[in-house]
Amino acid sequence: MDIAILIPLLAATVQSGTPILYATLGEIITERSGVLNLGVEGIMIVGALTGFVVSLTTGNPWLAFFAAGAAGCLMAAVHGVVVLLFLGNQVVSGLAITIFGLGLANYFGTPFVGQAAPGFDPFALPILGNIPALGEIFFRHDVLVYISYLLPLAIWLFLYVTRIGLNLRATGEAPVAARAAGIGVVAYRWLGIIMGGFCMGCGGAYLSLAYTHLWTNNLTGGRGWIAVALVIFSFWRPQRAVFGAYLFGGIMAVQLRLQASGTTIPSSLLLMLPYTLTIAVLVFSSWRRGSTGEPAALGTTIEPRQ
Amino acid sequence: MSNLWLIHSEAESMDGAPIIRLEGISKSFAELKANGDISLSLHQGRVLALLGENGAGKSTLMSILAGQLQPDEGVIYLHEKPLNISSTDKAIEAGIGMVYQHFTLVAAMSVAENIFLGHRAPLFHRRRTLEKRVRELAEAYAMDINPAARIADLSMGEKQQVEILKLLSRDADVLIFDEPTAVLTPLEVEGLFTTIGMLKKAGKAIVFISHKLDEVMAIADDIAVLRRGRIVDVRPALQVSSTAELASLMVGREVLLTVERQPMPTRQLLLRASGLSADVARNVDLQVRQGEIVAIVGVAGNGQKPLIEAICGLRRPDSGDLELFGKPWREFFSRYCQDNILSYISEDRQGLASCQELDLLDNFLLTTRFDFCSGPFLLKQRARRTISGLLEEFGVTPPDPQAQAWQLSGGNLQKMVLSREFYRKPLLIVAEQPTQGLDIGAIEEVWKLLLMAREQAGILLITSDLGEALSLADRVAVMYGGLVVDTFSRHDDYKVEQIPQMMAGLWPPKSDELTRMATA
Repeated sequence: MDIAILIPLLAATVQSGTPILYATLGEIITERSGVLNLGVEGIMIVGALTGFVVSLTTGNPWLAFFAAGAAGCLMAAVHGVVVLLFLGNQVVSGLAITIFGLGLANYFGTPFVGQAAPGFDPFALPILGNIPALGEIFFRHDVLVYISYLLPLAIWLFLYVTRIGLNLRATGEAPVAARAAGIGVVAYRWLGIIMGGFCMGCGGAYLSLAYTHLWTNNLTGGRGWIAVALVIFSFWRPQRAVFGAYLFGGIMAVQLRLQASGTTIPSSLLLMLPYTLTIAVLVFSSWRRGSTGEPAALGTTIEPRQ
Repeated sequence: MSNLWLIHSEAESMDGAPIIRLEGISKSFAELKANGDISLSLHQGRVLALLGENGAGKSTLMSILAGQLQPDEGVIYLHEKPLNISSTDKAIEAGIGMVYQHFTLVAAMSVAENIFLGHRAPLFHRRRTLEKRVRELAEAYAMDINPAARIADLSMGEKQQVEILKLLSRDADVLIFDEPTAVLTPLEVEGLFTTIGMLKKAGKAIVFISHKLDEVMAIADDIAVLRRGRIVDVRPALQVSSTAELASLMVGREVLLTVERQPMPTRQLLLRASGLSADVARNVDLQVRQGEIVAIVGVAGNGQKPLIEAICGLRRPDSGDLELFGKPWREFFSRYCQDNILSYISEDRQGLASCQELDLLDNFLLTTRFDFCSGPFLLKQRARRTISGLLEEFGVTPPDPQAQAWQLSGGNLQKMVLSREFYRKPLLIVAEQPTQGLDIGAIEEVWKLLLMAREQAGILLITSDLGEALSLADRVAVMYGGLVVDTFSRHDDYKVEQIPQMMAGLWPPKSDELTRMATA
């Protein structure tokens, strides 16, 4: 393939991979605390709409970005109330959050369809942006992409080097053992849910503030579900999530280009690609049983003390 | 007599004030008194063995000490100051740590991470520093363990060492071991005893919970025997002459109740095992006839479990003959459902004998469904009428067929299971610890029911309560180390007298002992 086509394609890969990366990292934190949150799609789109509306009304993209994160926290907190306070089923609650979030965003978003809001614009990083090829691929984006470069490292440090991260992982692996060690396991699950919700909301905000500056209904387009699958693909490790997000982002970018170039391959087949890959990965990871890194207590309910 | 021992034991261990003193601890679950008026002292550098059968109340007592349960009555003193242990955190703060039978470790994490879990430590940690501290701690107690190893890759013995290190890293002064040798190989047991020796030297107070007599004799400084929730004896280990003495203390001989039993002519042979081996049970010869109760007594874990499982069709016998109702094992269990004449009353009421999430009606139908079938349909109305009557008759509370099994206390659940199994009128009943955890009134009812069932059926009773065995059984078989040591009539007074010896593996007496007895 011609290098002149390849470099923009790779740059587009980074762009379309970024929202997935935010959401995947969020889901990793949540699942590491032992909570399965299938509401990623709903949380992302509520974040996206919140970000868009705040940016439209205040004109401040940063405020909009954090408002999106806060909206993500709020949505995730609903999940937290159901599964931690009322000991509800995590799968059912997560699915409900997705359906609820999509409906909510599409209902309140309809008046804004087609409007544009101020957002984050790409700029080249000094020095790094001038590196041939690499600079164009990685360092001529908006600030949210640059943040997403640092985020996996920050989360890795949080999970593996801090005491709080250790306790959070222990809660996801063996709540009984963690509780015996004097850890407030429910508090750590709340932490995982809220931190994760923030990242998911930010991932949604990337779509409405940077990827496009427009609002359309169903803006997330299934990216939340890809994030859920990517968590398994990355074996619950933040560093591997980067590769996963860009792999899937690449496939999305390629299929967009192919559609635009008027290929004869049906678009639905192309759209299917990421999910086909997900199934392949799931099969592969079940072969390597025991070493996938799935938190042992993922999806379990913590009964309150007698 | 036992009071005298008590005085001795206090005199013996008065060389320092106790670290922990329990006074008058009582704890009840619904109608069952799990602990009654228990007083104990734990001293620096001494190992207190808490000896008792399953359900004797050992675990309840230690859960109270570890902050998981709150006592109904009684006070715990730490260095003679009253201490309220309202949570596990409080217990850890007070320096009380427990090595649970089921380890509380995070399998996916390293040894060092597990040890520092929940510590009040700086926000950031360096893996190397943690590992170095663990290595130093392990070396101080002569343990050989790699701090960087993943828990999932360790042997049971090593995992136990990690549990101990966890407590030591939190400066525990009192370490409670709950059946610590149950999961260990003999070599690992030796290692554990070495470690306990080191802990003693370091001035820790140790509680060693067990029902294995040899181990208790080997490791304990003081021995407290628990039976049915009460301390029956406390004494220094030096004043215990033999494991047989402990065995008789543990199982007790006093007759709690008297039930009338008529002699019954025995009839058809229902169960015949000869040379039967299954797992640790070896070379077992056993017969049960219609009209008799055969009691298997012995300390739990001496092969009773696999033997029962083989008889009830849950485990294929390794070798030997096992015939039920005159048919070989394989043939009998191939048409087991149609016959429906064997009843297994499991010790595991919540797991094997009932489904926790089903209501009592469905639980009732688990084994009686053949009586309430019409083609593919269940006759639930008829079953409901039947079970309602049975629940009333057996005094199950609540007597509501729609109550779910998990809502019932252990005793009530057991009554439900018994009402179900007796309703079937089985010809062979295998009753495993049928009165464990029941209050005295319920025990009497169960005994009467078993004696009533004896008129129609043969009963194999597995119990660790000698009083129960002697009250009910026509014949007694004693198991030790997987072998049936001896089988004899309940009226063979000489052999009944020797049951503690048999349970402790001291039967038959060695020849030199025989000569010594003869000369004496």
